Order: sequence, then C-alpha cells, then structure tokens
Amino acid sequence: MNCSSMIICRCEEVTLVQLEAAYEAGCRTSRQLKMKTRAAMGACQGRVCKQLLETWIIAKNPASPRDPELLPYRPPVRPVTFGQLAKGDV
Amino acid sequence: MTKTPAYDLLIIGAGPAGLSAAAAAAEHGLGVAVLDEFTEPGGRMLGQFHEEKGRWWVGRRVAEQLIEKCSVLGVDIRCGVSVHGMLRTDHSWVVRSASGSISAARVLLATGAAEIPQPIPGWTLPGVMSIGAAQVMANVHYVKPGRRGLIIGVNVLAMAIARELSVSGVTIAGIVLPERNSVSGQDALPEEAVKRLLNLAHLAPSPLLRIGGKLGARLGMAGTLSRIFPRDGMKIWGIPLQLRTAAISINGQHHVESVTLADVTIAGEIIPGSKREVQVDFVALAGGLYPLAELAAVAGCPFVYAKELGGHIPLHNENMQTPVKGLYVAGNITGIESALVAMAQGRVAAAAICRDAGVLGKGLEHTLDEATDHVRRVRAAALIQFHSGIPDAREQLYKKREEKAWM
Amino acid sequence: MERITFHPILGPQRIEREPVSFTFNGRKLTGLQGEPIAAALLASGIRTLRRHEESGTARALYCAIGHCMECRLNVEGRGKVRSCLTPLEEGMRITEGQQLPNEITGRKLQ
Repeated sequence: MNCSSMIICRCEEVTLVQLEAAYEAGCRTSRQLKMKTRAAMGACQGRVCKQLLETWIIAKNPASPRDPELLPYRPPVRPVTFGQLAKGDV
Repeated sequence: MTKTPAYDLLIIGAGPAGLSAAAAAAEHGLGVAVLDEFTEPGGRMLGQFHEEKGRWWVGRRVAEQLIEKCSVLGVDIRCGVSVHGMLRTDHSWVVRSASGSISAARVLLATGAAEIPQPIPGWTLPGVMSIGAAQVMANVHYVKPGRRGLIIGVNVLAMAIARELSVSGVTIAGIVLPERNSVSGQDALPEEAVKRLLNLAHLAPSPLLRIGGKLGARLGMAGTLSRIFPRDGMKIWGIPLQLRTAAISINGQHHVESVTLADVTIAGEIIPGSKREVQVDFVALAGGLYPLAELAAVAGCPFVYAKELGGHIPLHNENMQTPVKGLYVAGNITGIESALVAMAQGRVAAAAICRDAGVLGKGLEHTLDEATDHVRRVRAAALIQFHSGIPDAREQLYKKREEKAWM
Repeated sequence: MERITFHPILGPQRIEREPVSFTFNGRKLTGLQGEPIAAALLASGIRTLRRHEESGTARALYCAIGHCMECRLNVEGRGKVRSCLTPLEEGMRITEGQQLPNEITGRKLQ
C-alpha cells in the first residue's frame, strides 16, 4: 500500500495525500488543516489524530505555533442526546 | 438563592490519582463523589502489573485497596458516567453528564491520559488496536486480543505491555519499529529506540542489555548500541525485540492477516530485498501517551507545553491547584508519569483542597508540604520512567508558579 | 478469541459473571453479564463492529476505553453506544453501524 494514501484522521478518513494538498493550497497551521480537510472534526473530535496533525504540520512548517487553542476542545466533549440535554440541569 | 452544592468535592476520573484524592479528602470529612466513564473503578492501573525486586506489583490489588478505603469513608463512586461539560455558577461547579448534572464546591480533574497513535498503512483494519487496548482486553476483560500479535513501536509502554501480554498467555511475534514516514519521526530510528529503552534497562533480564543500559546511558552510547544490535533482534522475556526492523504495512482483506516487515539502516531507511511478511491476527500500536485534559480546557484553564510531560498540560502549581478557582488536577493529566506518582499527587490535591476548604485544622498545616515532598520522593524512586527529563521539567514548571500569585 | 480463564498473575476475573444470550446482526451468541459488549463479541471471534459511514470499510475496537468512538454500534432501545463501555445484558439485540447514504454523491442506503 502506498504510504501517502495512509489515513491520518480515522473518523473522517483524511489521508496524508489530502494533508499535502491542503498544505499546497496554503494551510500552515493545524487549525487550517482541520478546516480544509475535516481532520479532527469527526466522532472522536481529534482525540486520536490531534497529535499526528501537530507533529505533521510542525515538521512541514516549524514556525507553526504550538497552541492548544488551534485545535480546541468545546463542550459537549462526550456524546449526549438532545433528549438528555433537554432534561436540563439539576 | 444559592443552592448548596451536592458535594464538597467532585472528582472526575476513578484511577489512582482520583481514588487516592477521594480517600484523603474524605478522611478530613469532605463529602466526595468520583465519576468515571469506564465500567469499573481503578483506571488504567487495573490492567497493569510488573516485576520489581523479584516480586509482582499488581495494579488491581492497589486499586482494590483504594476502592475499599473509599467505600469505608463514604465516598460515592459512580462508574459508567461520561462527563460532557462543566461550568461555574455562583460559588460552585455544575458538572454535566449524560445521566444528569451534579454540583460541587470544588472539582478535581484526574482524567489521566490518552494514546498517541503510531499509524502504519492498513491501521484501520479490524484487529489493529492501540497497545493500551490490548492491555485492557487481556488484563481487565480477560479476553485475548488475538492468537498471535505484533507490537509496532518501541518505547517504555510497548515493552511493559509486551511483557504483560506474554505473561497473560498471548503470543507476541515481535516488537518492531514503525516505518519512517512524515508522522513517525524519531520513533522510526533505531538509535532513538535504544535511548528510550535505556530508561528501562534495570528491568531487562539480559545482563548484556543491563550492562549496556547503564554504560550506554552514562557514555551516551545509544548510537553504538544500536549499531551493534543484532539484525535478527534479541529476545527479551522470550519476545523478539527487533530494533533493526520496521513495519511497512498491515495487510488483510476484512481483518489483520499479516504485516510486511523490512530491515532498516541506522537512519531508518529500508534495506532493499529485505521485505517479508509475518502472519499475525492482531497488531498493537504504541506511540506514547498524552494528557487527556479536555475538561480543563472547557473549564477555562490555561495550558502550557512541556514535551517531557507529554505535550499540552493544564497550568498548575506544585499543590495541584490551577489558576481557575476551585479547579484542581492530579495524575497523568498533569503530565505522563506513573500510577505511583498519580497516587501521591492525588494526596497533594486533597491536602490543598482541604486547606482551601478550611477543614485542615490546626496542627495539620504541614500535611500539604509533606504530600508534595512525598511526590518528589516517589518520582525519584520510579522504576519506569517514560521520559528522562521529567524531574527537570517539573522543576521548571513549578518554579515559575508562586502560590500567592493565584487566589 | 480465547478467554483467559485463570490469569497466572491476576488470578480469576474480579467479578464472577453469569452467561447471557444476546444477538448480533441477528445471530444468536452468548457472553457474560456485565462485560463490555465489545469484549463479548471479541470472545465470540467477532472483530468488526461497524462499517465506516462514508466508505463502508470495516472498523473495530481501537482504544477500548471510550476515547476513539470506533466501537460505536446500535443496541435496540438504547440507540448508538460505545460497545467498549456498555455492559452486556441478557436479551440485548445488537447491530453493527452501517454505511450511510450520501445525498451529494447520490449513494443510496445499501
């Protein structure tokens, strides 16, 4: 199997080829990669691929900042149904 | 009208840090609840065991003692509860889970770590899992991850779990490096692998590695050691450790059937003509751990980057206090260390929480100092070190934070 | 996959569990009461837990601790759950997640 078709984001099936294309298109931070490719936007919300995206983009662009706000965590950080949310607070 | 919070302290994570904090806080009379999304309390420690000084340290036994202590002290432990958010209202926290909201005066985040992947082409095939998953399935759920497996990734976690799996009766065909690609970085280099293993040298049964380990660390001989490392690998605990072999792809139609391996140079380059396949039915990938600090971010805690501690960690001082009022951290969320350090940090957090809550009382002011001293001692005595730079990184981190600057 | 009946270091399983029956994709299976669904399936030799919603490729257990969401499947009456965290109960009717239709590409439900 060709390495470049290797998946980086399992949830959205974003491959190395797609990351390279995003970089060619001008993406220079992990956040821009996410916006362009949907990496870190899937079911796990980046819990698996965040580290890979950061490693990859910093290797390509050492000036890319190491800022956790680039790939932030927003609530809800675990699955919850509308029914559960509708029940409201204690 | 301000409602009284349901608990004085709510702890998220029932692993070693969370449970030891719960017991210590409950001892001082605080009303404590612990939430965990896993099916049973004990955290990742439940699946851990290793040999030290001729005896087996068994995480599950330690967990059982902590759980019993918590039970006797009236701590409310709720498993199968996933926290999805938290916010501050008036003078307390509201912690939101799928089964409802819980209010507490103070919150301790002890959510531990998550795994860094070690991607290899074919890694989404059924039968490929993280190294931690292999440990959980075998040692917690008592189901073998497969009949014969390969471990990809050479680091402290991989070695410790390889040993556990082998003792648990799972056949491990070998431990190899990942192929060199744009995300494996240093992990693919034999010399770096040797450096990481030097942190474990005292555990190796082979006298060569033990001597080599001590020598290597002192003389910086990782390069030489990796050069003289036998191409076929060397058996550690009966498992072939192959530092000159890389996994190129994981193969199979609907699930793992084999892995393509190749010999590599010191620089991690594939040696032509050396490709071959090894038949396995599962693969465990080991890429390291990082602090799982989502809730700290949701709660508005600032972060700091520390490579030796595993990456982005919530900002905190040596007393386990964060800059956010009423928010504390303990365990691997503060940086990747071990269950023993996590337990010691849990006690520090509990002491700080009790002092802040005004229940430490006269004559017990020294409790917090004793607890922080204890963490430093436990850290120094650690048998397994994920990263050699941890004590310095901790010193740097805590030196900058004066307690009086917060709260 | 084989169950570990007695572990040389850890001893017997912490909690003694009763055998229970359940179905997976209509197939009748047995597992242990209270063990995670993913463990019961693995013990029955079943790895594939879902088909990727877009590509349809088979997916299975990856992290085993509820972080990666790969193990999500359907339990009748409960909706979609993480099978690595959901305890098995007698009579559960479980099905793997399917590849979904795609409005943009025109792919219909298989």
